[in-house]
Amino acid sequence: MKPLLRKLLQGLLLILGVTLISFLLMVWFGPDQTYTLIGKNASAEQIEQIHQQLGYDQPFFKRYLDYLASLATLDLGTSNASGEQVKKILMRTVPVSLALMIPGFILGNLLGIALGLSAASHHGQWRDRLISGLSVGGMSISFLVVIIAFQVLLSTPYGLDLFPVRGWQVSGFGSYLQYVTVPTLALVFVTLGYNTRFYRAVFIEESGKDHIRTARAYGASHTEILWKHVLKNSMVPIVTRVMFSIPLVVISGSLLIESYFGIPGIGLATFEAITSGDQPVLKAVVGLTAVAFVAIQVLSEMLYRLLDPRVS
Amino acid sequence: MGGRTDILGKLKSDRAGLAGFLIVTFFFLIALGVWLGWLGQGWSDASGGRWESPGSAHWFGTNILGQDIFQRAVYSVRTAFEIGLVVAVFSTLLGAVLGALAGWYSGSWVDATVMWMKGVLDSIPFYLFVAALAFALHGQPWAMHLAMIATFWTTTGRLVRAEVMKIKSMDYVRSARSIGLHDSLILARHVLPNTSHILLVQATIAFVAAIKTEVILSFLGLGVQDGVSWGLMLAESTQEVLAGHFANFIAASGLLFLLLIGFNLLADALQDALDPRQAAL
Repeated sequence: MKPLLRKLLQGLLLILGVTLISFLLMVWFGPDQTYTLIGKNASAEQIEQIHQQLGYDQPFFKRYLDYLASLATLDLGTSNASGEQVKKILMRTVPVSLALMIPGFILGNLLGIALGLSAASHHGQWRDRLISGLSVGGMSISFLVVIIAFQVLLSTPYGLDLFPVRGWQVSGFGSYLQYVTVPTLALVFVTLGYNTRFYRAVFIEESGKDHIRTARAYGASHTEILWKHVLKNSMVPIVTRVMFSIPLVVISGSLLIESYFGIPGIGLATFEAITSGDQPVLKAVVGLTAVAFVAIQVLSEMLYRLLDPRVS
Repeated sequence: MGGRTDILGKLKSDRAGLAGFLIVTFFFLIALGVWLGWLGQGWSDASGGRWESPGSAHWFGTNILGQDIFQRAVYSVRTAFEIGLVVAVFSTLLGAVLGALAGWYSGSWVDATVMWMKGVLDSIPFYLFVAALAFALHGQPWAMHLAMIATFWTTTGRLVRAEVMKIKSMDYVRSARSIGLHDSLILARHVLPNTSHILLVQATIAFVAAIKTEVILSFLGLGVQDGVSWGLMLAESTQEVLAGHFANFIAASGLLFLLLIGFNLLADALQDALDPRQAAL
């Protein structure tokens, strides 16, 4: 249990760090909202009142502690911009982002594993070279270029014109497929090069180990070695990569995809909150991402134990 | 690790790496030409009509304001190199210094602090961090560079830390210590130079990441503030492609792709030539 406790302690320190940085950047040095809220010709009393309401008159540590307290108690307040409860905003936008990002995230990793396995099992041969070359090519294309290209090719009269250009009017499974396809293809395309390269390296390293050589010497078949030995023993790095990329891909990836396609998910809400200085929303997003990240670290620590009995 | 000539020899025999090197050199010469005022100088003049087709007057046509897209694409090479170089140099240096300190004083509070900083920066979604920094700095044109430097050093830091921990226990470092050389002198003269293979590869990777990030940030309105870049051209093209004007998009994405693949091939070749263990993969 001791390493788990250590992880938890490290996690707490991480949360403190992330919240401190986000507090510094987004609240302390963030945009001043006084005049957006009450207009340019406010009286001195009005200004003082709004400063009190926003907490601008409090000292640094008081405000930071308040920030932490509100995160800990999940008292997320209401958005300064729309007056909507932050909890409601999250409940409205997070499911949209998950529905938007999960198919591409899963497909990108599965395809990456498949291609990586295929390349690794033909290490040094033409198939490996082709897959590696294409991965480098894929890594050299900007996310924005991929999105624009897929949009033009699939959603405009200049291409196949099969899907809606932008937006998210989802009412059932059919319309979900209509809106999710182009973003999903873009996400898969842009992550595939990186994923394939990473998994290929993992599988090649695993294939070179002694136990694989022994299995081969005992006459295990090619497919048996791949599935039973290489893939199974690569589970720890695979799980690590998948787990750790969840919060980053979901937030960072959805920020670009959602602002490009005008999809009302957490990425777009966050971006709008940054540009308008909507502190309660930012507070919630950054704080909860940090907590999720730490939770994932602790969770993967536990998963390692399940996957690899040697870890203790 | 072999000598310098050995590395050059390996690079030369690596055809993909050589291609990458030539592409990067070619683009660097263009950037130099722009710096010296020989190329791309008419990028902001409205020298033609709106959305003119490619022709002898405007090789890639013109944009919505009648500006020459070829000139803009060429001038953007300079922008890309400015961003890439600044971010690559400073983030790698920062990673080298912090990584070396953490590795040299491993287990101490210095190490713990550096690793904590790395953990914190790695836990914040990147675009959120940049956006927040850009707004905190009130639209400073350097906000983008700063944000990338502040986050890109972590990988270099981790690799340098591990390498320094290895080097620390080697005989020549121990003997340098035993004759009473100061820590900072040993670090600067005997330890850091031996991490140069990591630094070179990481700088190339940071260059690629910086150029790619600029595109996204410029699209979000957080990137290049004045001037022109491939990111700004692509941002401009997002509206144009829906109306059937593809010149901006093709020019910017084509050049961007070429430069990025050049750097990626170069980074791979450097990695193979400098790191024998990885090369075995």
